[in-house]
Amino acid sequence: MTANRRPLGDLERLVMEQLWASPDALTVREVHERLTGERDLAYTTVMTVLDRLAKKALTSRERDGKAWRYRAAAPREELVADLMRDALDGAGDRQAALVRFVDQVSDEEAALLREALARLEARDG
Amino acid sequence: MITPILLAALALVLAGPAPAVIARSEWPYRIPRAAVALWQALALAAVLAALGAGIALSYSTAGQPGQPRFDPSSGRDLAAAAVLALTALVAVRLAWSVAKVAVGTRARRKRHRDLVDILATPDGLVPGLRVLAERTPLAYCLPALRGSRVIVSVGALERLSDVELRAVLAHEQAHLRARHDLVLEAFTMVHTAFPRWVRSDLALEQARTLVELLADDDARRRKGPAPLARALVALAGSPAPADGLAAAKSATLLRVERLTSPAPNHPLLAASTYTGAAALLVLPTVTVAVPVLRALLTAIG
Repeated sequence: MTANRRPLGDLERLVMEQLWASPDALTVREVHERLTGERDLAYTTVMTVLDRLAKKALTSRERDGKAWRYRAAAPREELVADLMRDALDGAGDRQAALVRFVDQVSDEEAALLREALARLEARDG
Repeated sequence: MITPILLAALALVLAGPAPAVIARSEWPYRIPRAAVALWQALALAAVLAALGAGIALSYSTAGQPGQPRFDPSSGRDLAAAAVLALTALVAVRLAWSVAKVAVGTRARRKRHRDLVDILATPDGLVPGLRVLAERTPLAYCLPALRGSRVIVSVGALERLSDVELRAVLAHEQAHLRARHDLVLEAFTMVHTAFPRWVRSDLALEQARTLVELLADDDARRRKGPAPLARALVALAGSPAPADGLAAAKSATLLRVERLTSPAPNHPLLAASTYTGAAALLVLPTVTVAVPVLRALLTAIG
């Protein structure tokens, strides 16, 4: 995580939020105007961020005269669903990509877990 | 003719009965780091022995090592060539699987990280922490050479006290620091290299459990056993989401029970396990190498 990557990553989220909030595709200038209310931002920075998002296939863009118009490639809810499916999918060989803290267990095992925890608390308490 | 038979037998034992015996035992869980090394040695030694058996068999049919001869009209020589080709095929398949898993894992992680960065909010508690506004309790890490992420959902935050959250984060950071994902990736590569009907899931499953134990031990040293055990129970025992996630058999109970006993410390057991792992690797290597070296020495001398 270098010093100049963090803010860009953060900006990607703010830019996407503007695109999700807008019913129409937005130009770089329009996104820039909507964001400068919250913070001081260079126009070229917004351009860079939108370009990065397009390369990541998170936005789609179309020509409008000389300018590009950007829209979110998918609704937010759809991407959240994608992410959750990916994070929760413990099946098969794909799990090495993500390492989850703990899997969910059956009711019987949950009861056994609480018993084991009670033993620990009793010993410590 | 004895070498290929020995090596083939060794490969079979290392691929089948040996993992089954070790996976049923309790002792590896006391020394997770040495146990990971043992599983790595098992997998590598099985592959080496299988490849070595093929190479040795083609030697023993087609002339002496160092004095190769090939006569296309001889059935023996053709059989030797076929065995060698089959061995090469296994090696190529392994290399292909290594590349496929490496590329696939990275692509999936990159896509996931792109999504996390636009959907989850950074939190300054630890570097790389992202909070996802979802009710499903969830905590996991997304490893990378640079810019790893730890992702925690709001549902998980609601179930955890501050000390418990810190124990979870310590666990995830232990995974990231020690690059446990690379350990799992290597086992995944070997696992996918073999067709479904010969491979066993034991090595990969055990590796998954053992790296969890390693991260648990690290978090326990930093934050104590109780917060971590409570966090495990809080997140595992929550109602499963709609898509029926509840795993039939999980390592969670083992992990919590392990936290209820004193911190494991078994230097002797660990040392003998490391020795066993080293011996496993030496065995097939020497068996293949010795006849070749001997032939080379004879040729030089």
